[in-house]
Parts: sequence; structure tokens; C-alpha cells
Amino acid sequence: MSSAFNPVVQREFFGIVRSPKAFATLLALTITFSIAVLMRWPTDATVDLSGVQSIQVFRVFGYGLLAGVVFLVPAFPATSIVNEKNAGTLALLLNSPLSPLSIYFGKLAGVLLFALLVLLASLPGAAACYAMGGIDLKSGLGLFYFVLLLLVFQYATLGMLISSYVQSTDAGVRLTYSVIFALFFLTLIPDAFFPGGSGVMGTVAQWVRYLSPVPVVMQIMGQGGLGSKGLISSPGNMQFILFTLISSLVFAAVTISRLNYRIFDQSRAQGVITDDRGLVARLLRRFLFIVDPQRRKPGIPWYLNPVMVKEFRCRRFGRSQWLFRLVALCAVVSMVLTFAAATSVTSWGTETIGGLMVILQVILIVVMTPSLTSGLISGERDGGGWELLRLTPLSSLKIVRGKLLSVLWTLLLVLMATLPGYLVMIYIQPQMWYQVNLVLVCLAWTVVYTVAVSAAVGSLFRTTAVATTVTYVVVMSLFVIPLLVWLGRGAPFGFEMVQRVLLINPVGAALSVIETPGFEQYNLLPAAWYVAGGFSALMFLVFGLKVWRLTRPV
Amino acid sequence: MTDQQPIIETVDLTKRYDEFTALDSLSITVHSGQILGFIGPNGAGKTTTIRILVGLLKPTSGTARIAGADCLTESRKIKRLVGYMPDDFGKYSNMRVGEYLDFFGAAYGIGRRKRIVRIDEVLEIAGATYMKDLFVDALSRGMQQRVAIARTLMHDPQVMILDEPANGLDPQARIDMRTMLLRLADMGKTLIVTSHILPELARVCDIVAMITKGRLRAFGTLDEIMRDIQQRRTFEIQLVDHDQVDRVVALVESWSREMNHESEVTGATTETMVRFTTGLNDREITPLLTHLVGSGEPIAQFREVPTDLEDAFLSVASGSHGGDAPQAEPVTQEATS
Repeated sequence: MSSAFNPVVQREFFGIVRSPKAFATLLALTITFSIAVLMRWPTDATVDLSGVQSIQVFRVFGYGLLAGVVFLVPAFPATSIVNEKNAGTLALLLNSPLSPLSIYFGKLAGVLLFALLVLLASLPGAAACYAMGGIDLKSGLGLFYFVLLLLVFQYATLGMLISSYVQSTDAGVRLTYSVIFALFFLTLIPDAFFPGGSGVMGTVAQWVRYLSPVPVVMQIMGQGGLGSKGLISSPGNMQFILFTLISSLVFAAVTISRLNYRIFDQSRAQGVITDDRGLVARLLRRFLFIVDPQRRKPGIPWYLNPVMVKEFRCRRFGRSQWLFRLVALCAVVSMVLTFAAATSVTSWGTETIGGLMVILQVILIVVMTPSLTSGLISGERDGGGWELLRLTPLSSLKIVRGKLLSVLWTLLLVLMATLPGYLVMIYIQPQMWYQVNLVLVCLAWTVVYTVAVSAAVGSLFRTTAVATTVTYVVVMSLFVIPLLVWLGRGAPFGFEMVQRVLLINPVGAALSVIETPGFEQYNLLPAAWYVAGGFSALMFLVFGLKVWRLTRPV
Repeated sequence: MTDQQPIIETVDLTKRYDEFTALDSLSITVHSGQILGFIGPNGAGKTTTIRILVGLLKPTSGTARIAGADCLTESRKIKRLVGYMPDDFGKYSNMRVGEYLDFFGAAYGIGRRKRIVRIDEVLEIAGATYMKDLFVDALSRGMQQRVAIARTLMHDPQVMILDEPANGLDPQARIDMRTMLLRLADMGKTLIVTSHILPELARVCDIVAMITKGRLRAFGTLDEIMRDIQQRRTFEIQLVDHDQVDRVVALVESWSREMNHESEVTGATTETMVRFTTGLNDREITPLLTHLVGSGEPIAQFREVPTDLEDAFLSVASGSHGGDAPQAEPVTQEATS
């Protein structure tokens, strides 16, 4: 290796590529893309001059690749800086003759090179789509890969920025995935309320919409769909490109400015406690927090599982005061959505609003659950707490129960917070009460299902960062894949196929029950509940067995 | 339980990982109220032994009992009898020291009222009362060690096993730790303490177990071990000039040959000193000094190097590593304080 070559690139890139997980990921992606294309490859001698079939294949391939980029790329930059900081190697790097700029670009290049490998692995699939005809090289395939490269750049710089602020690798992964999820999905919502871009709010909503890559990718795929209903036909590609480039450069600049000794310059928490503060401060905090996390706690009462209480107390997000805020926010959002439907702010009916509420709740569940659940065991093993737990007389069943309850309570509270919205919906259309009940059961199953999968997958890994990343990828795949297949309903996927795939999680059933446009024809109940119940039981069993095994002497 | 009955007893304790033997037929006994210093280089098998004792590891063969309870089959009893402080602190983020201890107290099934009182008691014993409201992840190493001791004491265990309690501590904190260990022993606790800082152990331990490559090399009270080690004594001859060193080395070697005694003689020119190790007693060594003076060599000092735990350990360790020092036989014995 030449001495002119940035050693950080070498370390980062080969560090990623050498890991068996990265190799397995690349292999799995190549196989998946090949299978996806092969499944739709023409088997008869008929020539498809219209190119419809190739576009169908391209859509499946394109959305799959987009999902792959969203799931895989953020994991590496999200841990890149915080990992080095905690291991002490960042201090060594900063103490070397390497400038912060070369350290940053070395790390960034390592991540980008890996992402490039992922994109390269997809090229045979892309070439096959192109060979089938009907796809323009420049405005179709070329533009699609350009958008993906921009996304990779944005996610890598964003991940590294977050990584430079957080104190632990799992926090980096959690926050990066949450921000990316928000950029990807939540940015589509304001436009739904101000469609067509009329007025200031409409224009803002339209700009916000182009923060997400979804509209651009949908335009490249030549289709409208979920999240784009009522939108104007303006391409908005330039807005997306501009925003992605500018934001990436800002992320990079801020991160580089943080790469100096100040990154370590943090004093230890002083442990100021509210009980020891003045009366005014105490009253103010009581008003702001309702349940103040800084007050002196009484001991854990006998009727509460100590592990559950410990889990709550260990969280920064997820303690009572945050739950109250989240519950309030959920309640307001769900009420606003329902009110919008009732007052005809949008042209959508209560079914569409109901569908949107379900999707919002699912996003909340999918973003929150892996973050709360994946580190239940790996977090303890990482921090050395597991050994101490094993030394206590707590049975593995009590540990499992405490840990799972700590997550289930949080999610059920969040779920309950959306009840006002549904109540308004029933008030507007009383005949919907039965549907709303079924939807709530579906959502409850979604919570149980997501917790079960996250707990089981997370428990299989020793380090929290890996557990969190893999759990996010698995959970998001379980929820996004059925949606991708649903987007290809009619073609390339038939009714039966879509119906079967929608059974993978209970969300499809919730959307079909509330008769969300595009879902109403599927009959998914009670099969979706049985599948969710059976799969959750299996996952809980895996989690329980893993905990039991980890508590045994070896 | 009487004082004559051992509180900790291992018999032929062995742990194998495939071909590798981490622990080989370890047999030791410790009586109530004693402090056992467990010494060995990295990878010697100390932590393996400790983990078997606290029920975290399953031995391949042999038995380990604490207060009559089998460490493998009666793990619930063991958990109540033993307080284990691993080398790793095991911190939880966003938790204050009081909450941390409250959790472990609740995990041990201590009732709420008793727990609240107990938290203050153990913090007082560990000298950590002022840390009660601090966050555990913001504590320094020395503070963490104190909180870890407090946590280990929460359920008032009979036996405390402390893995490297003085590791990473500054001199003052080490002195405090030593005082705390003695205080715990005064409270009637039986302690097993591992440490690399041997002078620290020498000051607090009643008995010492030296282990290398999974085998017990020496076991007994400090005096017993010293007596064993001192069968080979080291002498230093301080000379006046550097050029004397080679001549005196030759003189000592020739004298040893004449007297038919085996001695290891080394010269340190920079220190103007000759060292030699021998099994001779005081009466037998006196003619050497006469011989040296008689040969006309000016001698500044002729002294015996006092042996401490560090020397004892090095002697045992080098013996086990196939060095020239005599290898101590693996000992199985009941130590008495």
C-alpha cells in the first residue's frame, strides 16, 4: 500500500469488508437481486415490445435495492466515530500527523466504498432489467443509481455526524435509523394535508416532501402510490438533489469541525437531584416533567419486577416523562388527523385517514421497538451487568418477564395514546366501531410481534451495536417487504401472492379492516392474528431459551 | 459451623476446554474469617476458580463447596452465601448509585424498608455515602470499586470474592481498599482476594494460594510460604570497583564448587555488585565472607536480600515456567491462620 494512501481508508474499508457479516450481506444481496430478476424473466418466446414486463421487474428490483440501501448503509457510519472514541483509538488518531479532514474522509471513503460494493452487487440484476428492454438508460437506470449514490452519501455523512455526538454505539445506531426513517417516511405526511402546493403551507409541505427519496424513486419507476396521493406532477428531482447534496455537505462540515480534542471534553454528570434544589426549581420541574427523573426515588416496591424497574430507570428515552410527552404528541396527532377527515380539510375519507393513522402508529412501533428491545440482553453483556444479574437469585423467567414488560408497557401506552383519534372516528362514523376494534387488536398484535422479533434477534448478538443494527434490519424488512410486494400488486405479483405476503405481519390486516384504498380486497383476518400469534410465541421461546442458556453455568 | 470446619473447600477441581486445561486438580480449604490471597500471572486460572466458586462455570471434574453447599448443584444457596465483585464493574447508564444498590437489593429479595436502611449501611462501610446521588456511569475507577464493594455487601454474604479490587487505583485509594478489606474481615466475612499488587495482599492476607498454568504451586500462611521459599536465600555482595565484579564472581563460584554447594552467581557491573542464591544456612555461609576478605578483595557490604511475597511469587512462578529456581511441589494442605 502506497504511503500516499490514506491509512484510515484502508483500515475502515478492509475492516468492514473483512467481516464475515459484510461478506454474507453482499452475498445475500447478490442472490436476492438475481432471484428477483429471474422470477420475472420471460419464460416463453413472446417478445414484450411495450416493456411492461421489464418495468414490473425493475420496480421490484428498484424498491428492493432502495430498501437495501436504507437498511444497510447507515449501520456502519452510525458507529464509526463513537466506536473509535470509546475504544480510545480516536485520541490516537487525533494525536497522529493525520489532519481531522483526512481522518474524516478516510472514514467516509471506507463507508462509501462498501456501499459502492453493495450497488455493484446489484448491477447484474440492473443489467438484466435493462436487457429486457423498455427502460431508458439515462432517465431510468442511470438516474436511479444517481439517486442511490446521493442517498448513500447523505446517510453516510448523517450517520457520522450523529456518531460524533452520541456516547454509545447503540445510541448512534438508534438515532441514525430514527432520523433516516423520519426523512424517508415522515416527510411525506405534511403534503398529504396541503396537496397541490397552494399557499405558503402547501409550498413548504411540497419542499418537505422532497426531502424523502420516495417521490423521486416513484417517478423513476413511473408510478404513483402510497404517500404520493394528491400530489402535483412536478418532478421535484432538482429539489431532492439539491437538498441531499447541501445537507450532506453541512453534515460533513459539522462533523469535521467536531473532530478535535473538544470531542472528549465532557465533564462528568454532577448528579444534582431535584430534592436538594430550591422550592421554585422544584415546582418548575414538577410542572415541566410531571414525573421528574431527577428526583430521589423510593425503593422498588415488592409487587414490581425489579428488572422491569431497572430497565425503565436505565433509559434516557422511555422514562416516564418522555412517555407522557410521547403519549400527548400521539394523542394530538391522531386527533388532528381525524379532525382533518371530519372537516374535509383533505379530500380523503375516514378510511384513508384511518389507514394513515395505522401507518403512523406502525412507523412509531417499528422505530421504537428495536431501539428499546434489541439491547435487552446484549446491553447487559456489553456493560458487564449480565454477570451481576446471573449472580442474583433472580430466575431466568423473572428476568425475561421484567425485560419484556418494560418494553410492552411503553409500547402499549403509546398505542393507547392514539385511542382519542379512533374515538373521534367512531363518533363521525358510528358504524366503524367494529372495524376500529379489529384494528386495535391488529395493532396490539403488531406490538407483541415486533417486541418478540426484536427481543429474539437482539439476544443472539453479544454487542449492542450489532444487535441493534441487525434487529432494525430484520424488523424493517418484515414490515417493508410486504408493502413492496403490495406495491407490485396486479403486476408482477398476483392477488394470492400479495395476500399471502401481507400475512407476514398484522399491519396488512389492520389496513384491510379499515378499508384503506388498495387493501380493501384482501381478506386477512383471522389468519393474520394466527400467524402473528404463532410467530410471536416462537420468537418469545427463542428469547426465553437464550436467556435460560445464558444464566446456566457453562 | 465451627471454626474447624472449612467454609470454602475445593477438591481436585479441574476445568478443561478441549485440549486446554485451565484448572488442574485444585484443592484448597479456607476457614471462616480468613482472607485468602489468590495469586497468579494472567491466564493462571484464578478467574476460572472464582467463577466455579460462584456458580458461573461448571467444573469438568472435582467439587467446590461453600458453607457446605455445592457450588454447581446448589447455586441458589451459593448466590445468597457469596458476594462476588468481578473485575468489570457492570455499570448501568442513567442510574444513580442509590438506585443501583436498590435494584440489586430488590434482586436479592431484600424488603423495601430493610433495603433503604441497608443501602446507607453498605455505603458507609465502603466509604461511599457521598456518592449516593451520583450516576454510576460517571464514577471514577476508585469510586466504582467502592460502589462495587457496597453492592457485594448488599445481601450481607458470608463469603466475599473480590477480583482485582486494587486494580487501577491510586496509592491513597489502595490504602483505603486495604483498610476496607481488613474491616470486612473484622466483620467476620471470609474473603478471597486476587491481585497483581502483591505487597497489598501481603499486608492483608492470612493465607496465600499461588497458582500458575492452572496448578496450585504454593498454599499456606505467608510465613509457611516464606519459610519454604527461604530455603533458597539470595545474598548481595556490594563491591568497591567495577573491575572487581568478574573476579568476585569467579571466587564465589570456585568456593561453592570446593564446598560442594550449588549456587547461582550473577555479577552486575553497573551496580558493582555480585548476587548469589544458595541453600546454605548462616553458619555455612560465614566462611565465604572470610574467603573473600582473605583473597584481598575490598568488600563494602555483604547482606541477605529480604524475601517478600513478590519474591516468593517470582520464585514459584519461575520454577513452574521451567526456570532454574527450584520448583515448589503442588501442595494440598489445610491452611490455618
